This record gives sequence, structure tokens and C-alpha cells, in this order.
Amino acid sequence: MEKQDYDGPILEIDKLSISFFTRLREIPAVMDFSATVMPGEALGLVGESGCGKSTVALGVMQDLGVNGRIVGGSIKFKGRDLNTMSQDELRDIRGSEIAMIYQEPMASLNPAMKIGKQLAEVPMIHEGVSEDEAMKRALEVVTDVKLPDPQRILKSYPHQLSGGQQQRIVIAMALMSKPSLLILDEPTTALDVTVEAAVVELVKDLGKKYGTSMLFISHNLGLVLETCDRICVMYSGEAVERGSIEDVFDKMQHPYTQALFRSIPLPGADKNARPLVAIPGNFPLPHERPQGCNFGPRCDYFEEGRCDADMSIPMEIIEGHDRHQSRCLKFKEIDWNAPIEVGEQKEKAAAGDVVLKMDNLKKYYEVAANALFGGGDKKVVKANETLSFEARESETLAIVGESGCGKSTFAKVLMGLETATDGQIILDNRSIGDTPIEDRDTKTVADVQMVFQNPFDTLNPSMTVGRQIIRALEIFGVGDSDADRKDRMLKLLDLVKLPRAFADRMPRQLSGGQKQRVGIARAFAGDARIVVADEPVSALDVSVQAAVTDLLMEIQREHKTTLLFISHDLSIVRYLSDRVMVMYLGHVVELGTTDQVFAPPYHPYTEALLSAVPIADTSVEKKHIVLEGDIPSAMNPPSGCPFQTRCRWKDKVAGGLCEKEVPAVRMMADGHQIKCHLSDDALAEMDQVIKIAAE
Amino acid sequence: MEPLTWTGNVGDFLNPIFWIAAVILLVSVIAQIILSFFAEEMTLQANPDGTLMRRGGLFGLVERLTKYSFFAVVLIVLAYIILGVVLPYGSVGIVGNMAKQFTPVWLALIATFALSITFKRSLGLYGKLFDSTVGMIGFGLVMFWVFTAGFAGMFDMLATHDPLQQISGLKNKLPGVPLPEGVEGYPHYLLGGDNLARDVFSRMVYGSVIVIAIAPLATVFAFMVGITLGLPAGYYGGRLDTILSFLANLILAFPVILLFYLLVTPEIVATGIPTFMATVLFIFPLVFFGVLINSRYHTQPTQRTIMLAVVLGVLGLLYLSLISQEGTVFNFMPAALDLFDISSGILVVFVSVVFVNSPTVFRIVRGLALDLRTRDYVAAAQTRGESSWYVMLWEILPNARGPLIVDFCLRIGYTTILLGTLGFFGLGLPPESPDWGSTINEGRKLLLIFVHPALPPALALLSLVLGLNLLADGLREESLKD
Repeated sequence: MEKQDYDGPILEIDKLSISFFTRLREIPAVMDFSATVMPGEALGLVGESGCGKSTVALGVMQDLGVNGRIVGGSIKFKGRDLNTMSQDELRDIRGSEIAMIYQEPMASLNPAMKIGKQLAEVPMIHEGVSEDEAMKRALEVVTDVKLPDPQRILKSYPHQLSGGQQQRIVIAMALMSKPSLLILDEPTTALDVTVEAAVVELVKDLGKKYGTSMLFISHNLGLVLETCDRICVMYSGEAVERGSIEDVFDKMQHPYTQALFRSIPLPGADKNARPLVAIPGNFPLPHERPQGCNFGPRCDYFEEGRCDADMSIPMEIIEGHDRHQSRCLKFKEIDWNAPIEVGEQKEKAAAGDVVLKMDNLKKYYEVAANALFGGGDKKVVKANETLSFEARESETLAIVGESGCGKSTFAKVLMGLETATDGQIILDNRSIGDTPIEDRDTKTVADVQMVFQNPFDTLNPSMTVGRQIIRALEIFGVGDSDADRKDRMLKLLDLVKLPRAFADRMPRQLSGGQKQRVGIARAFAGDARIVVADEPVSALDVSVQAAVTDLLMEIQREHKTTLLFISHDLSIVRYLSDRVMVMYLGHVVELGTTDQVFAPPYHPYTEALLSAVPIADTSVEKKHIVLEGDIPSAMNPPSGCPFQTRCRWKDKVAGGLCEKEVPAVRMMADGHQIKCHLSDDALAEMDQVIKIAAE
Repeated sequence: MEPLTWTGNVGDFLNPIFWIAAVILLVSVIAQIILSFFAEEMTLQANPDGTLMRRGGLFGLVERLTKYSFFAVVLIVLAYIILGVVLPYGSVGIVGNMAKQFTPVWLALIATFALSITFKRSLGLYGKLFDSTVGMIGFGLVMFWVFTAGFAGMFDMLATHDPLQQISGLKNKLPGVPLPEGVEGYPHYLLGGDNLARDVFSRMVYGSVIVIAIAPLATVFAFMVGITLGLPAGYYGGRLDTILSFLANLILAFPVILLFYLLVTPEIVATGIPTFMATVLFIFPLVFFGVLINSRYHTQPTQRTIMLAVVLGVLGLLYLSLISQEGTVFNFMPAALDLFDISSGILVVFVSVVFVNSPTVFRIVRGLALDLRTRDYVAAAQTRGESSWYVMLWEILPNARGPLIVDFCLRIGYTTILLGTLGFFGLGLPPESPDWGSTINEGRKLLLIFVHPALPPALALLSLVLGLNLLADGLREESLKD
């Protein structure tokens, strides 16, 4: 198909409404949504899960499935209405003019087809070019997405590539036909932070190079800030605010946008002095939306009789800004510059005695090549290598690292699900590293508990909430009778601020945040003293994250719990932890107080990690560091320093020492240690990665 | 007495209507298939009131015609049945009289459906079954045979004659044949007589008792064995898994029919192998329930001990009565305590069905456990120090129930066919047994001349297995919806 030249807006969505029809009712997923994407422009679509942002993307693709219908409005692509096109016309446009990139790279690639062939298919179908020509184009694009050894990549199958490489291939495939519009639906959510940073960088560069317009869907405000020119904030099926990045980030005109920014940990937030402000209440279900303003019931500026009047609230243009609109009746009256009402300030609890001590902990796995009869070659995977640290009472120790860094293995050894290969774990002067969980006494087991990552997986789906908590009480030997335990269970629900009626509910009737609260209640059933929180909020929506984090902090203050907070999100780590431990491929590369770790001198990996984390604040300037390549596999770690394959400081160390020897731990300042070969001078040269521009 | 026709007097006016409706249905279905190649793509239109409109035109017309003629056919079939139940004997034909015989079954079915549909919102997965048409049809078919077996087996209702009674002169007589003058009892052989002059209809009804009694019970045992071995294999993995999976594969690879022949060979029975196998296989439910209760209540020892004593006591007594048989290697129970004896033929059938079914169940459970053991709630249970069996039976098993329930329904169907196969080969059950497999086998000998003795049990088997499969489909569909 010939591509027409067109210089108007690439995509014009006007008052779009999309509904899904079920047997019971019509469920409006998107209502009165308008947006315009100009050539070469990137529009970010931000909102919590269920707000309809992916539905908009599918609507543009005209791929809403059997139940979905566009019930109003129009979607114009280069001036042509997509709603009235026939299936044949749509097929021509999809993949050639509009391309889409999905969240799960592995699910977007055909596992039974070689990469080269999959890529070549696109121009062969849409432009009818010969296979040779198409393969040539594929090679070109694979080189463009900066994959090493493109020839080899073209001949491999998807499963032979890492997640980051797969996502690059998906991007390459989308770019094969030089589309005018690229739709990215959470393209980096499944990737590690440093890999994400590289992919985002790539998308940005390619967008410029090919002049492609982009519709970037994400829940991460920081990511949108880095990639987009304009932003549209969605809430419960409606766009509530849209405008340029600067306007929306700095001069927001809708209470939801404001609440969203107040609930994410930006630099400067502090758990004691300036706690996050969680958005009260829950996201309304599509068929239970309130009258009037959808955000009304959770809004600080809610005015009865006006915000809940039975009328739809129009998008209004804000004077003096560049195409800035807000869906709020009161935006002119609200004083947007009023300082945040500082919530109650809390005293920082003083760290007490050392409760937990790791001493040269090592965990190796032996992986046999042949499972059936044993024997054969055995490989040793070093999941944890000489781990040493201490954790004190009522202290939060954050463990930071990407996938494969050994943080989960460490948690397993601490919990007793695995035993240590070498070294010791000392809990209250008793060594528990060699004691599997069956041999630990009830007190020890109840003392060390865990909060899990995935809220949809943390509760047994076929047992009531109350029953699950009571079971934990039973097993920890709390309470004398069933009535006693029931009483305790209700008190635990109070502790995590859930209504007592939830005791009889099944987990599927709870939202993600509520489930996570039950998980916390269960962990504290036996008055746990050490709680390992394995990314407890990363799977939750932004507005819920703050509430769950605060809850954890509050319980910690009350119970003097030691919290081991495993995370890859440095923003939240900076917000809530007292000390930070950075891990890479089983090694602790840096350990120190939060201030020490977040300020130079850094370990080169920490430096890159800090630079990779997107921060949703326009006043923050970040040093730009993009790591090459992927995280090496723990099965086959690099020689010498684990980080040497991706380190940008490597050439500053003489004699290739990095490739030969694992560096020793060096004490930098009191309690601050770094595992690196760099000289003191080189380390002192490092700049601050995150700078907050002077106000 | 006159022989009965299929539809009797009612048929005089119903038959023509029935055939007209059937022909329209057939034609419209064919037209629909042909038209679907040419008709334009489906278009949907959303109305302001939230409803959807489907396309009209020729295609829509044919579609509607198919729908209505189908309803007409169903209605007329219903009319045959209802008129048969209502009208007196003699005015309706064979179909009507059979419907009359089944009156208690119809009443029970209506009661079941009425109650279930009324309370379907509070009945969990069972209630949701009544949201699915396929599931309801399947459930209806299954319950038809369950009730038939119940009424025939427990109250001797439904059947018109004794299944073993032979009436001279009725050998291989066609359906609707009247009894000779002077013979007491029901005046007709509704579905004719078989080659030993027994009533085919009554044999079919009594055959259901054997099938319905053995198939689900054998499946339950197969599940107990499969679950008790599959859970640890999937949960622990490693060498245990390797060994158990290998054994399962070994059994699955062995030709089933040969195995059956071996098991019923008198020489093998004399060595006591089937009895030993029964001893081993039937201990699994005891193990299962024992571990189930202990792992759950070990934190409250008194409660645990009482429950264990009661459950294991009852099950143990049943188990001992079951395996202690006269004339076998195990004959140790004093007669006063031995609750019941099972004929060795049925025991062998039972053992072999459980034996060949449990490896498949084992593999399903193992696969599910392999998947579920990586869940966070399993890790949560482990980190609070639960025993492995608690994790397997209370954390993993309840969440594997969906696929297992579906497989359970399907497996009853397989077992039913397996029983038919066994009966067909004359294995296990006594030769005069009215079970469907044996009856089909007997009917087979004269199949070219007389179809009627073999057909009813075959159709009965078909409808029961079809019902079970539809039921499984409905359950799967509904359990996925949540």
C-alpha cells in the first residue's frame, strides 16, 4: 500500500466512548476521551490499572474483541475515520501504519519461528517485497535497535534471547514498516530497571530518527516524563487532565493529578518528616462509578451538591497554557500552590540492638546436567557470595538489586526454606543458618516472617481471609481457644486497617491493596520481629502503594520490627529505608546508610542504577548513564568482578584487574562499604547522579 | 393383545407435525451452512438503551428459522413424553409407555432442577452450572441415569419385568410385543425380547444400577490413589517424582485389555494377586483422610485425636470388611464384624479399573502440584512452618480442584466405557448380568438380524457418557468464568 503524505495530526480521537457488553450489563470502559497526536509527537497515557488506558489503545487498533464496542465518538488516523473502515482496510493499516508493542515480549513473538523470518514477514505482507529484500531490511532494523551480532540474532529463536533483547526485537518488528504511529502498552514493565532505561533510551532515539509519533501507555509517571512531550492522565475511564509535560507536572490543574504526585516518593519525601499522602478510598469499579465527578468520593476538594450532581463534567481549557485541559468543576477556585498539609510528623525510632547478623553467608546450588540418573556434569550456581551485614531493632534495611542478584535466595535461607552452604545467620546470638524450617522452634519461625510480592498470589484463593490468619495463629501457638484466636484475628484486621467484616470474605473479593494488607496481618500474627518484605508494593497501583507503605512503617514503629525491604525501586528505598544494601549477581557491592549510598562515591553499579530509575519530577536533573547489555546469567557469571562486563569505569583500573579478581570489600566511611577496584581518587571524582535543580 | 406401535394413537396427529418440523430444521441448517459462505460479515449495532442488535437479512431469516424449527422438534418430543405420562395405558405407544414407566425419574429431575435453579446463587460452582445450557443438559442426562439406577436399585421401580425372567415365545421378538395369553405381569415387552427371551427394557434399566454403582466409586478410589501419590511427586520433585512417574508410565504402557484378562484368569486369582492389589489400593483413602485430618488439626491434639479415631475407625472397618473375603487369601474377619462381602468378580473389575485409572490421575495431580507449589501462598505456608502434607492437602489441593472436578466427570465416563468393555469381553461380571457391556455383547451375536437387543444399552451408555462429558464441559466453562 502506498503511504500517503499527510501533515495534519496523525491521530485525532474525538469524544471516544468504548463499552464492553456482558450478559449482565453494559460496562463503559472509556468515556468521552479526546486526544490528538501530532507528527513526531509522543503522547503519554497515564493512569492506574483499570482506568481504560489499554482500552484506548485497542480502540485505536479496532481490536476490541467480541464484547467490546465503540459506542460513540470518532478515531481519525491521518484524517481517515478508523471506525468506518472495513476489515481489509484495517488490516492494511495495522502493522504498517500503526504498530503496537505489548508488555510481555515473549508473548508477542512466535516461539516456533526464527527472529529473521518473523521480522521479514512484515514488509513481505504489507509491501510485497521479496524475501531477500525483507531480510536485508530486517538486518538493518536489528542493527538499529543496537543488538549485538545481528546476523546471529536473526537466525535464533525467541527463547534464545533475554527479556531485554526480546523487547528490542519486538520494537524492531514494529519499526520494520516505518509506521507513522507507534503504540507502546507498558513496554518495559516486565524488564529490569537498568534494561528498562536502555530500552526507553532506544525508543526515544528511534522515535526521533524515524519521525514516528508515539502513544506511550504507562502507569509510571517518571517514565512518561522521560519519553513524552505531552501527557494525558486518565481516571476511571475518563481523561481528567491533559497538556504538555511541563504544565501537567508543574502546574497541575486536577485534584487527581495532584494526589497522584503526592503519593509517589519523590526525592525530598521522607517517611518521618514529610510522609507520602495516600489517596483515600478505592478505585471505583466500572459499574459502580459515582454520580458526577468520578474522583469525587476520594477528592480533598469535594463539594457536596456540586461535584456529585447528576451531570457529566466537561473537559475545560485552561487559559494561558498550551492545549492544557482539566476535567474539574473547581479548578479555577483551588489554590494549586498551597503547600502540602504536612501530616503528623513522626519521631524516627532509634535503632536498637543488633537482632540479626549475617556472617559470610554463602549459598551455592548444584545443578546437575541430567536429572533422571544424576551424575554427569554438575554446575555450581553461586546465588549468594560472602554476605555479611547486621540489622538492628526497628531499623529498615533495604536490599536493592535486579533479577538474579540473589535477594530471593537470601530471603529463602533466612526463612529456613534452604540451608546455607557456608557462613552463619545469627538471630539473638543463636545460629539459624543451618537449621531448616522444620527444625526451628515455633518462636523462631514466628519471629522471622515474610510479606510477598504478588498480592494476587499471596493468599490461598480457596480459604477465607479470617481462616488464613487464624491458621497462622494456630501454627504459632497463639491463643488458648478458638474464640480467643478469632478475637486475635479481628484485632489483626484492625491493625492493618481492614473492616472486620472482611474476615468472612474470600480473597477474590478483595482488591490488590487489601490482599497485601491481609498478607501483612498474617506476617504479624506471631508478633514477628524480623519481617522480610519482598517488593511488597511493586505490583500495586501508585495510589495504593503509599497507603501500604505507610501501614508497614506504622506497624514497624509500634512493634519495633526489623524490616528487610527487598526492592528494585530506588525511589521508595530512599523514602523509607535507614540503610541500603545493593546486590549484584550474589555479591553485596555497596552497603551503607541511605544518605551514604545515594551520594558519591558510588559503586559503579549503584551509580547506573540511580541513573536508570525514572523520577517524576521536572526539577530533577539526572546524569545519563546507560548500561550496555544484559545482566549475566548466574549460571555463567563473568570472571573477576561480577559487574565488569557492563562497568563504564573499567578502563580506569590498570592491568585488567577487574577481569581477574573479585574486588575486596573496602570501608569508605563509617559503615559504608564498597566492593570495587577503583582507586580512592577515581571514586572521589564521581558526581552526584540525581541533582535537584535550585528552586 | 395387540402389539404396541412406537407412538400409538398420539402419533396419528403428532407424527406428521414432527416430521415436518424435522425436515424444516434439516433444510434450514443446510441453508445456513451454504449461506455462511456468501452472507456479509456480521455487524453489530449498539442501541442507546445498552442492548445490541444483530444483523437482519436473508441470513438472519434462516438463522431464526433454524431456531424455531429446533424448538418445534424439542416441543414435540416433549409432547410425546408428557402425553405418555398423562394418558392411560394403550392409547400411547412404546415411547409413551416408557415415559410413563420413568414417571418417578421425571418428577425427581424436575424437583432437582427447580430447587437448584431457585438457590443457584448460594450453591457455589454447582449453582453456576445452571448458568450454562451445555452444563444443564449434561447434568440432566447424568441425573436421569442416576435416578433411574436409584429407583430401580433401591425400590425395584421403573422396570416392567425381572431382568432375568424368561418368557417362552418372546425370544428375539420386536419392540412392543405383547406377552402370550395367560402370563402374569406387564402386558408388553416394551423394547422386545433378547435371544434368551428376557425383557430388553428391564435389562437396560437394571444395567444402569451396576454402572452407576461401580463407575463413580471406582473413580473416587482412582482419585484417592492418584492424589495421594501425585501430590508428593509434584511437590517434592526429584528422585521420588522420577520413580513414581516411571511406575505410572509403566502401568500406562501395559495393554489394558491384556491386564484385565490376566487379572481374571483363575490361576492368577488363585495366587491372590487381585486381593493383594485390592489390599494396597484400598488403603489409600485411609491414608488420605488420616493425613488430611492430622495435618490440619495437629495444633489441637484433643480435637485431632477424636476426629482421627472416628474417621479412621469407620473407614478401617469398611476397609477390613472389603478385603476380607471368603475363599480368598484374606479371610480373617469374624463373620459378626464382616459387614459385607463383594463378589470376587466385581472386586476384580474394581481393582482393575482403579489400577489403570490412577496413573492418569497421578499425572494430572502431579502437573497441577508442580505449577501450584511455586505460588506465594505456598511459600507463606512453608515460612510459617507448616508440614509438607498440610501444604499439599490444604494449600495446593483445594486450588487444583477445578481441573480435578472436570477430570472426575470425564473419568467417570471413561470408567463407564471401560466397564462396558469389560462386560463386552465377559470379564469379571457374571454372564447373565444385565450391565450394558454384557448386554451389548450378547446382542452383538445376532446383530445382523435383530438390532433391538443391542441398541438400547448402547444408546443408554452413549447418553450417560455424553452427559458426563457435557457436564465436564459446563463445569470447565463456568469455573473459568470467575
